[in-house]
Amino acid sequence: MLLKHGSDHHQLALGHMKPGDTVKLHALHRASPLLRRRLRDLGVTEGSVLKVLRLGPFGGPLTFECVGQHIGIRRNEANRMEVAPL
Amino acid sequence: MSEVALLGNPNTGKTSLFNMLTRSYETVGNWSGVTVEKKVGVLRGGGGRIVDLPGLYSLLPLTEDEGVAARFLMEESPASLLNIVDASQLERNLYLTIQLLECGRPMLIGLNMVDVARSRNITVDAALLQQELGVPVVSIVARKGTGCADVLQALGGLAQSEKSNFRIDYGPVIESSVTRMSERLSQAAAASSAHIRWTALQLLEGNEAVRSSLSGSDVLGDLDDLIAETSQQLGLTGEESDVPAYLRKIRTERITRICAVALDRSAQRIHTATERIDAILTHRIIGIPLFLALMFLIFKLTFDWLGSLLSDQLDGLISGTLSGWISSALDGLGASAFTHALVVDGIVGGVGGVLVFLPQICILFLLISFIEDSGYMARITLLMDRTMEAVGLSGKAFIPFIIGFGCNVPAIMAARTMEQRKDRLLTTLLVPLMSCSARLPVYALFAGVFFASDQALVVMGLYLMGMVLALALAKLFSRTLMKSEPSLFVVELPPYRMPQLLSLLRMTWEKVKGFLRKAGTIILAGSVVIWFLSNTGPSGFGVNMNDSFLASIGGALSGILVPLGFGTWQAGAALITGFMAKEVVVSTMNIIYQVPDMAGLEQQVAMAFTPLQAFSFIAFILLYIPCLATVGVIRKETSSWRWTFFSMGYSLVLAYMVAIIIYQGGRLIGLA
Repeated sequence: MLLKHGSDHHQLALGHMKPGDTVKLHALHRASPLLRRRLRDLGVTEGSVLKVLRLGPFGGPLTFECVGQHIGIRRNEANRMEVAPL
Repeated sequence: MSEVALLGNPNTGKTSLFNMLTRSYETVGNWSGVTVEKKVGVLRGGGGRIVDLPGLYSLLPLTEDEGVAARFLMEESPASLLNIVDASQLERNLYLTIQLLECGRPMLIGLNMVDVARSRNITVDAALLQQELGVPVVSIVARKGTGCADVLQALGGLAQSEKSNFRIDYGPVIESSVTRMSERLSQAAAASSAHIRWTALQLLEGNEAVRSSLSGSDVLGDLDDLIAETSQQLGLTGEESDVPAYLRKIRTERITRICAVALDRSAQRIHTATERIDAILTHRIIGIPLFLALMFLIFKLTFDWLGSLLSDQLDGLISGTLSGWISSALDGLGASAFTHALVVDGIVGGVGGVLVFLPQICILFLLISFIEDSGYMARITLLMDRTMEAVGLSGKAFIPFIIGFGCNVPAIMAARTMEQRKDRLLTTLLVPLMSCSARLPVYALFAGVFFASDQALVVMGLYLMGMVLALALAKLFSRTLMKSEPSLFVVELPPYRMPQLLSLLRMTWEKVKGFLRKAGTIILAGSVVIWFLSNTGPSGFGVNMNDSFLASIGGALSGILVPLGFGTWQAGAALITGFMAKEVVVSTMNIIYQVPDMAGLEQQVAMAFTPLQAFSFIAFILLYIPCLATVGVIRKETSSWRWTFFSMGYSLVLAYMVAIIIYQGGRLIGLA
């Protein structure tokens, strides 16, 4: 799914990527503040390169890899993180 | 004596190192948030004290356990710092390191997990890192003890070494603001001179712990003005106007430069083994069934295959051999009939009756320790999050739930690692529904009598019932009692590792020791009191048990227990005494039915209960009230008597409802 962004270029949501996709994190500002802080603590920020590993069943958590660490987050949060294909 | 504080990111091996440096056996595990409070030990070789603290990513805490570490640094002023850094995650770890360096205390860096890093072709040059940071860096493998002697030695020389000259230039706006804030702070003598720059920087970053340490001081107003001004000026330069974000940006740039020098990740490999295991264990279709199968395997091992066999052996030993020896020793010493009865019926019967279940408890703890140490714990939260989300909880609440199968007290403390207050409170309230090892003797006794052929299945049914009720109540409570904030879930999945046998046995022993200590204190004291109450009545000592004080106390309750199927004074008495510790239910029954061994007790119980009544009784025991120690920790963690009484009240109501449904429902369908 494509998300409309302020300018005329289109962004993808992390939550709509498939396992194996490698993307660059573009914007985090729509994610919840607590999650944003926790991800920043883990070194996941704008510009980080993420590789989607797995999707949980029934809309369960999305697992991704970033700088060698594996992190799981909820799908609805992932839907609010904008990414760009590499 | 000098004090060293052990600080670092979560799951970097702080407690492993602590254990190695102090010969302690604190619980270690492979997930973020094993240690939730500070633990003090004495360094080997008498080099002073060392304090193990919960892990944290930065000095701005997000969760309760991180708050413990951040506040410790502010309030206790340790003489020196030992910062553990995970070599395979250097960039992320260095952020805290920089904040600690700015603190200006003597510091040593333990570069841990160099073996893990090497296996993934990540090379960290400790000498270059030391040069960049200006403090000594020692390479270690804390789990195996490699390099720990070097750490001890380096700590000894730390006080004498000159201070680090590490300093970051944050640019003109911040630097001039820091200078002005420092002047204001030193005028007011609000911070000791060594930490003034750090204090100013932390205030700019919004550190609440530092701020509250200044509350009451009249400088705070001036400082707040300065901070607001700084934010404005920063905006004017066309930079990021959010001061904390700007500070982070500058620090991150510095970290990037340090890593360019000291870190080589060019040939980095992913964890192939972890990837392969996760492809199965967290598989979208078979992941959850595998988890349930694993749980069933744990119950099979604990109750059927190993536990009950060993338990029967131990019962023979205690009620036969040991009891016989004590009996003849007492006769030999010429003990009175009173002493003889007190020791053999009261103490051996009460305490021994519980100790018989030691094998089951050991096996359960061993298996839980294996899960804790392997890295599977974090995966369980991932598997269960979708379910937990549906009831308004975070998947991370599953960690306290699983620890709760061992003991509810550390489980409630483990709730500290969740980011949101609502998640913490809900988990604290619901953990008591997790069937702890203290309830296990009760199940083992009753299931052994009535459901011998499918013990594991019945017991697993009880554990599942506790779990399902916890989820249902989570939904109810989060809808009605809590502010409707969505729960948060973010979890790090650490690489799997094979638990070391020695470390597993130590962890198991630490938990079993708690059980033995309880047997020697609460259960012993409870047994003596119960024995007295069962032998004394209004007419004095040595009455028929049916006329004893215990019978009248239990009898007072029996009326309201009739609809549940166990309206006897014996059951009432066991329930009241079980509040001290759930094992005491079994002690009480042993004393009341005055039986020499398990087989005798099983016969008595079989006569006193029908299978349906027995099932209603054990379901009631599972749910009816958190034990005394758990009530204490609920009060401590919630800081509220209201929530503490609520947790006792709702569980009583719940137990009554469930038991009545089981008994009356069972009778309706003809199971009497």
